[in-house]
Amino acid sequence: MGVGLREILADYRAPVSWDALAGDAAIDGNNALYQFLTIIRQPDGTPLMDREGRVTSHLSGLFFRTATMVEKGIRPVYVFDGKPPALKTKTIEQRREARSRAQEAWGEARAAGDEAEAYKQARSATRVDRDIIGGAQELLGLMGIPCLNAPSEGEAQAAYMAQQGDVGYAVSQDYDSLLFGVPVLVRNLTVSGKRKIRGRTVSVEPERIVLADLLAGLGITREDLIRMGILIGTDFNAGIKGIGPKTALKIVQSGRFEEMMAEKAPETDAGPIFEFFKSPPVLKDYAVAWTPPDEAGIYDLLCRTYDFSPERVKAVLEKMRSTTGQKTLDQWF
Amino acid sequence: MLKATIDTDTFRETIDVIAAMVTECRLTISEQGIRTRAVDTANVAMISLELDQEAFSSFLATAGELGIDITKMKNIVGMMGRGDVLSLDLPDDGHKMEMVFSGYKYSLTLLDVNTIRKEPSMPSIELPAKIKISGAALNDAIKAASVVSDKIALGVDPAANFFYMEAEGDSDHIRLELGKDELIDLVPAEARSLFSLDYLKDMGRVMGRADEVEVQIGIDHPVKFRFGIADDNGRVEFLLAPRIEAD
Repeated sequence: MGVGLREILADYRAPVSWDALAGDAAIDGNNALYQFLTIIRQPDGTPLMDREGRVTSHLSGLFFRTATMVEKGIRPVYVFDGKPPALKTKTIEQRREARSRAQEAWGEARAAGDEAEAYKQARSATRVDRDIIGGAQELLGLMGIPCLNAPSEGEAQAAYMAQQGDVGYAVSQDYDSLLFGVPVLVRNLTVSGKRKIRGRTVSVEPERIVLADLLAGLGITREDLIRMGILIGTDFNAGIKGIGPKTALKIVQSGRFEEMMAEKAPETDAGPIFEFFKSPPVLKDYAVAWTPPDEAGIYDLLCRTYDFSPERVKAVLEKMRSTTGQKTLDQWF
Repeated sequence: MLKATIDTDTFRETIDVIAAMVTECRLTISEQGIRTRAVDTANVAMISLELDQEAFSSFLATAGELGIDITKMKNIVGMMGRGDVLSLDLPDDGHKMEMVFSGYKYSLTLLDVNTIRKEPSMPSIELPAKIKISGAALNDAIKAASVVSDKIALGVDPAANFFYMEAEGDSDHIRLELGKDELIDLVPAEARSLFSLDYLKDMGRVMGRADEVEVQIGIDHPVKFRFGIADDNGRVEFLLAPRIEAD
């Protein structure tokens, strides 16, 4: 779920137009699928399903959104999580418990006819499992969009690719990417448009955070930002109760990180967490290539296997064809 | 380290050429001069530019790589007067380049080269047909085609010995044929490829100033444009990937 830095980021989150985002982008795949699965639901929380009851919300989001990106000149590479680090075991266990509680509450709310509660609980019960990822990767393969399986955290891999200059920026909703050192983070790319937040419909537009500007503005180093994350709480530790981003900033600025940790969270060993953010396991030798979409394959998968509307799929395929009419220089390098 | 002075017109011409293609680039400096090679964000077009030290009125440099914000630079060159002198000064390991002209003294923070895409290798492409044409004529043809369409076919008919450009819009059509006599030179070979005018218009604007542009084309292959800048003390190559021709 990332690290709660939001409060101090207000001045550094700049709206960015789709046009300015043309180019290569590494997308946090698990995060994108999670977004699609939580957002693309009926009012009572029921996800999109085919006639056999298989969930298709993620495929719908992935297909239509990726096609829009391609149309706007973005070349996405989806990066998926590998094996979670041992540090994350506790968080994973907690999430699993929260999901099964939400699953039960969803059933109860639906039975009671409480739609708003049902929607809320259904979102909390969302799970990105192996089948979801497998289906997504099959679709991306047919669309000619590259996928990369990170050895560990996908965000860390995406950050590395952006650091290397192989992609222009990374896309994720989570601020962890900043701790992993992503030079440019773009948010809201997979969720932009009209969206319901806490019952209100709001318009969500893409925004960009430049790490160097953030660090310069706060007068801290990336190491300090990681320390702030550890004080607030990350996927790998609970953080110190009562410490939010503003207090955390003051603590690191005054060099009292170690002192605070020793005093308030003696049970947390910050060293390995710090190291994980600083130099996470990443795949350094990778190749990504974009290929023309397999239109018949996409049509078969979405319309024949998962009961998508043939009209909608055909319209998007046509749009993809006209935008992909432009070849790239890749094949001549 | 870089310490150089250059005529503002030459510098503006150089920046304009790069700006036609990318918004930022890695500039490689050496004792011989400066050069850059960059691909646009969509990987559709590439620019390769070299400016020899002879293009400068004075030039002293040690090897290095600079990250240049071309958009910002283009705004700055827009303020330079004609026939003025620009002096560039970058100390060893400096991150700020000093630019002085017409009494203005800019101190520009360079971009971190690691945040800019790596310089691509030079693709090896065989393009059999070669045409030499004035930059103005080429730019006019590009402008004429963009009136009716967003794409243009460039081709050579070796049997009839002419170079042609053709654009097909939804309702309109334009064709221009130029024989050897109307060109500076023509090396005929079977060739035809389709290109996006979006890209060509930007390239055409800067190629329009060149006395002579060499155009190399093949069949469904990229097009290569070569021309000189800075009184032939600099060379530019544009490479543009083709569009797929619909049946």
